[in-house]
This record gives sequence, structure tokens and C-alpha cells, in this order.
Amino acid sequence: MNYSNLTWQHFNNPACAGVLTGAAVRRGAAGSRAQGIWVQFDVQIGARHQESIVEAVRFLAYACPHVIAVADWVAQKAAGGPSEPVLPESVSALRERFEVPIEKLGRLLIVEDAWIAALSSPYLRESA
Amino acid sequence: MTVAPQPGPRRAGASMTGPRQTVYLDYAATTPVDPRVAARIAECLTQQGAFGNPGSTSHDYGEAARALVEAARVQVAAAVGAAPGDIVWTSGATEANNLALFGVANYQRESGGHIVTSRTEHKAVLDPCRELERRGWRVTYLKPGGGGLIDPAQVAAALQPDTLLVSIMHVNNEIGVVQDIAAIAAVCAAHGTARLHVDAAQSVGKCPLDFAGLGLDLLSLSAHKSYGPKGAGALVVSRARGVQLKALQFGGGQERNLRSGTVATHQVVGMGAAFELAAAEQTAETERIALLRERLWRGLDLLGGVLRNGEPGHTAAQLLNVSFEGVEGESLLAAVRPCIAVSTGSACTSSNQEPSYVLRALGRDDRLAESSLRFSLGRFSTEAEVDAAIDAVSRAVTRLRRVAGSRPGA
Repeated sequence: MNYSNLTWQHFNNPACAGVLTGAAVRRGAAGSRAQGIWVQFDVQIGARHQESIVEAVRFLAYACPHVIAVADWVAQKAAGGPSEPVLPESVSALRERFEVPIEKLGRLLIVEDAWIAALSSPYLRESA
Repeated sequence: MTVAPQPGPRRAGASMTGPRQTVYLDYAATTPVDPRVAARIAECLTQQGAFGNPGSTSHDYGEAARALVEAARVQVAAAVGAAPGDIVWTSGATEANNLALFGVANYQRESGGHIVTSRTEHKAVLDPCRELERRGWRVTYLKPGGGGLIDPAQVAAALQPDTLLVSIMHVNNEIGVVQDIAAIAAVCAAHGTARLHVDAAQSVGKCPLDFAGLGLDLLSLSAHKSYGPKGAGALVVSRARGVQLKALQFGGGQERNLRSGTVATHQVVGMGAAFELAAAEQTAETERIALLRERLWRGLDLLGGVLRNGEPGHTAAQLLNVSFEGVEGESLLAAVRPCIAVSTGSACTSSNQEPSYVLRALGRDDRLAESSLRFSLGRFSTEAEVDAAIDAVSRAVTRLRRVAGSRPGA
């Protein structure tokens, strides 16, 4: 399978791969390794002008290159934005941006589910 | 813009001189034509060469081509222990398999007979079997053991009074397991009416096979798996054992009326030359490749969480099939693709995520079947290439496990 330049870029160098262990981190995951796709987001929430914002994001993904690339892009793009259970860009737009085949649309929905699960989950550990 | 990974293919046998070159370790898919073979092929193509129609016996051009075709027939027959008159040229092993299965079935009866094969055969056997089932034949698909071997006792137990054909491959193209063809041939001989067809597309030059000595009825061969040209193959049909086939194509009566069509002189000359070389160099080449294969395995095994597929001690020297725990199959293949050319254990595409049916038949779960790589080494493989492959796979697996948060063995 061929991949877009953007997909290769994020797949080969996923800068946001990993986990967060600091304070005020929400964690959510979707999919399962047994099913061949699993994505987890760790989202660190901060406050700015009385609004919650995303301070940092890390992800783990047992998935195809498209999903790894999209998860990495989402993690980078979401930092600094509002802490809402909404992807920085719609699944449809992400599919176009990364030139993901239509048959893989369901996999991008897993990314969205993981993001929503993270933003909807309680903090792993409240900040001091 | 959609692009392939940056590195381009490198010429097999050329020294590895730059980071943009890809190591070829997919010799089981196809091999480059040996330069010595290419020279023989080229001699047949031009006006100064044997370009005549080998069926044209009314002039010297045809006679010259015919002589080369018959010489190639002798070379191919010698490589597998058959009589030259047993060789029927085909376009490759797929056509040979089709001719064997449909040829025997159609000759014997219109419908209603029984065939025995295994679940790990090549699609070129399994798909014709499915078609024969649609035409009223009954097919028993034997399940191999966890290492991929078919127990000859399984074949014996599967035989029925109306079993007309047993089709078992010699060397499995995915995992390299070598079946005990001698024992299976003995089972078929004891049955009496069951003909034995062996798909030996992966065998020539790697694992010796004595067609007449083993009492085989039919044998499928491919040129391009043994440094010959693509588009050439043969079905060996034992005359001594009185094997009868019904042709699948008609037109000129070539090849004992079994395969009409002008014989492609340059292709079969190439196949003959390739098989002669393969047989002559088999011992030395197999020993060298077996050492490289073990070097590769030892290097990959250091990663931990890797499983070797195929019965230990019963695999052909050139093949190594490995499952990697904790990495997703498509990503694994994508990650190594810039560095090495290998096949995945999965026939995965974006629209059809089918893990390898061979590995599934061995009991591997879907995830492990998908995260498997088939490394196949060949005549032009070197230690440096093996070491580069170990390095590339190790880096890819380590990175993907980190991205996935995987702990192999956990």
C-alpha cells in the first residue's frame, strides 16, 4: 500500500507517541489489540483565563500507519486548544488530509472514539 | 499526493552501497534471472538466433528452435528425475496445477469423484479445488499439524474408494515446510487408484525431488522461482505410470495434445538452463543459504517476542517465517519496506484484511498471522544483506512496540 507524504512523515516520526504521567491527565482508549486496532490518548488539562485547555497530548496505537499518523497529528494539533471531546478536525476531513482509503474510515472512527473517551474520563490523578 | 516509500529497489547481487537501497529477501516470490540464463534466452530472440517456430519442421529455423526446446526438456527432466517425454511446457506453475487438477478430473469423470489436498496449498491448487467442488467433486482439505506438516497417516485416513487425486505441495511457499512426499506417495500407491500430484514450484535447486524414483504421477514446476524467466513452467506427467489427462486448451496439438500453443522457445530454453544450473549448484548453494538463514534467525530472535513458523528441522533452507508479538502487521511491513523487500504473512490490503490462511491453518491467531514476515533468501543474498535486514527489522519492531505500548510476552 502507498501512503501520503504526510502519513509517512507522522508514521516514521511520531513525536507524540507515549504516555503522560503528570498531574491532571485524562486517559481514554478505544478498539482492542485483539481486533487489530487500539488507540489510547493521554490528555493533560490546564487552565487559561478560566477556560480548560489541552496542555499536552500523548498517544499509543497498535494500528496501521494511517491511524498512527492521524493519532500523532491529532495529538500535536490538539495541544493548546480547548479541552472538548471533539477532534481538532472532523473524521471526514482527516481522511482527506491523510488520503486514507474509504475502507479505513472505521479505523479513523476508533481514533475519534479514543479521543472522546479521553476527554470524557476522570483525571488519572488530580493536580496538587 | 500518494507516494511509495522513498527507497528504490536495488539490483540483486549488487553491492549494498547506499541508504536508499532495498535488500531483496523475497526470492520465494520470484528470483532475478541468472545472467547466465539471460544470455541463453537472448540467443533465441533475434534474427541471428533460434527465433523459428519449434513446430515448423519444414525448415532449418524451426528445426533449430525445436532442438533447443528438446534440449531444455532434457535439462528440466534431469533436474527432477523425470523422463524428457514426461515434460509438458506451461506458462508457469499455476497453469501446471490447473492442468493437473482439471486434467485428471475431466479425464476421469464429469463429476462425483473425490480429491485430497491440504489447507496450506498454494491458491493455484486450492482455487481449482473449490471450482471442482462447484462442479460436483468432493474435496478433503487436510489440516496440518502446528508445524505445518501433513502426516501421511492423515492422507491414508482421508482416502476413499473413489479418490482419484491427492495434491500435496513439496515445499510450502510461505513457511518453507517440506512435506514427506515419499511417504505420501507410498500411501497413494497402496490405495491403487489415487494419483499423486505435487506442486514443486519452490523446490528446484533447493530441495531435491526424484519424480520417477518416488513414483509420482504429476509434478508442477515454475521457472521464475529458480532464476529462470517468468511465464515458463511445466507439468511433469508420468508416461511410465500411464497418467491420463484431458487438455484444457486446444488449437495446435502441441505438447502431446495436452497444451496447444506455440512453445515459447526462449522461455523454455531459459527454464532448461536455469534448472540445469540449479541442480548443479544445489548442494553448495543450499548450505550457504542455510547458514545465512540461521544468522538471520539468531539476529531476529534477540528482539524477544518472536516466533518461528514451520516445523523445526523440516523447512527448506531459503525460507524463514517469523511472527512478531506486539506489532500490527500493516505497520510492520510499512516500517521495514524502505529497507528490505519481504512478504508479509498477511495478504492484507486496505479493503481485504485477510491474515495468512497458511499461518491460520497452523493455529496462529489472526494478530500473529498478520504480524508475520516471510524472509526468503537466494543465490545473491549476502551476510551484509542479512545483517542489514536484522538491523532494519529490529529498529522497526522496537519503534512500533514503543508506539503501541506493547510488552512482548506480557
